[in-house]
Amino acid sequence: MGLQEFQVVGRHLATESDPTPKIYRMRIFAPNEVVAKSRFWYFLRKLKKVKKANGEIIGVNVIHEKKPLKEKNFGIWLRYDSRSGTHNMYKEFRDLSRADAVKSLYQDMAARHRARFRSIHILRVVEVEKTEDLRRPYIKQLLVPNLKFPLPHRVTKFRSTFVAHRPVTF
Amino acid sequence: MARSKELVPGVGRLSRSQVFAARALYKGPKKSVQPAAEVPADHVEKSIGGEKNGGKRLVPTTKAPRFYPAEDVRQPKKSRKTPKPPSLRTSITPGTILILLAGRYRGKRVVFLKQLTSGLLLVTGPYKINGVPLRRVNQAYVIATSTKVDVSGLQVDEKFNDAYFAKPSVKSASSAEEEFFEEGKPKAKEPLAASKAADQKEVDNALLASIKKTENLSKYLKASWGLSKGQFPHQLVF
Amino acid sequence: MTESNFKRFVEVGRVVLLKSGPHAGSIAVITEIIDHNRAMIDGPTTNVPRQSYPYKHLTLTPFSLTKLPRAAGSGIVKKHLEKENVVEKWNKSSWAQKRAAVEKRRSLNDFATFNVMLAKKQRVDVVRKALAKAKKA
Repeated sequence: MGLQEFQVVGRHLATESDPTPKIYRMRIFAPNEVVAKSRFWYFLRKLKKVKKANGEIIGVNVIHEKKPLKEKNFGIWLRYDSRSGTHNMYKEFRDLSRADAVKSLYQDMAARHRARFRSIHILRVVEVEKTEDLRRPYIKQLLVPNLKFPLPHRVTKFRSTFVAHRPVTF
Repeated sequence: MARSKELVPGVGRLSRSQVFAARALYKGPKKSVQPAAEVPADHVEKSIGGEKNGGKRLVPTTKAPRFYPAEDVRQPKKSRKTPKPPSLRTSITPGTILILLAGRYRGKRVVFLKQLTSGLLLVTGPYKINGVPLRRVNQAYVIATSTKVDVSGLQVDEKFNDAYFAKPSVKSASSAEEEFFEEGKPKAKEPLAASKAADQKEVDNALLASIKKTENLSKYLKASWGLSKGQFPHQLVF
Repeated sequence: MTESNFKRFVEVGRVVLLKSGPHAGSIAVITEIIDHNRAMIDGPTTNVPRQSYPYKHLTLTPFSLTKLPRAAGSGIVKKHLEKENVVEKWNKSSWAQKRAAVEKRRSLNDFATFNVMLAKKQRVDVVRKALAKAKKA
């Protein structure tokens, strides 16, 4: 369901010509360890001349949020393949953890652009600490002092235990 | 098959190899020496009268059947099931007020006295309060409430067993006329045995004393229980 | 801000009633607004741990802590709750009392329900007699 942030560490297999190959480390958002490792090879293949067949994974760890009960504003840079081309994007999210923010990002991209998990690369996730540094108005509006708003149109759901109920759709 | 308990007829719990391992036949054939049972002689010598009959004759002890059955009669399968000992719901203890859900007295609140060996529950109304006599009921058709009557002063007699409540077997009348009519008039109802009425009174008297101690409890027992609109038994607390 | 007809707002310090989840039925305080769908709530005096909660599963109460700063920790929230006596105010409100009464009535066993029925009958009887007397006079 949710995503987790993984740290995946891997390298090229040691050979005679290079007994100590360079070690690469990536922070990857994935639903589980298997997907995290797969995404690691996917990205490393694009960046370096290492692939799964001639490489090895040294370690996979879960990175936990340091303060999971504090609201933070995250700026996320991403790259995604639309039906007609590749785009870079910057979006802001307000959430409790980096993984949650990335999850909302995937949901948002799916909703607005019909983008799938496979067509999105997360480039950078940064916590924006200063309010002035926030760029997007949809996040800025949540940070005005003494923010308050009512909850209009509250529909109370009443269900009797056995009687069939025709839904009201307005 | 004894090791491999049957799941369904013909299919054992263990596989053939598991049974083989369990029986340990690979260790060699088992030798069990059974005491030789004394074989009863299959013939008896009997002396026969008459000159020309040889004086003695060997007569088989069991007579061979005169006819062989024309058709094979299947041996019925032996049932290996044994009835489990009756259990009692933990919410039911002597003195618990139960709500009867089936039968002639459905909806009545009654007092539980004890469980009989057949697993049925012995209950009483008491008769004076709500008209339910000493009676056996199945615990499946009963709701146990959390209300209890103090029955510490009540000694339920041993004579209240399943036999006490069994219907006496009466020879069935030869005709319907004889069964229901007598001298052209409907038969008079047989009165309840005086001993049973006395038993009822004896049990109830002790109960009534303790019921009286709690306010409204006798009214509660007298009232019958039912569901009204918008009430669902799974949401109620008993 | 312009005049509003609404009386209860989502705001820092607003006391809310939880409608679902393991803490359903207890009250908590909004400590920070996350977005237009959920808020951080905290109920140090009502055993509600700090967590994010969707507005869908909250009801706003007329009470609020007036001086609660944004993103206050549990200790500060507790101090404010105790200072403004919110839990007591809530328990005294007719809303909470009605809820408590319904809860109590639901938890009564069969015999207790029967006793309630008798008491109600008695009350009706008294009222009926008094009414008849008043009508005659």
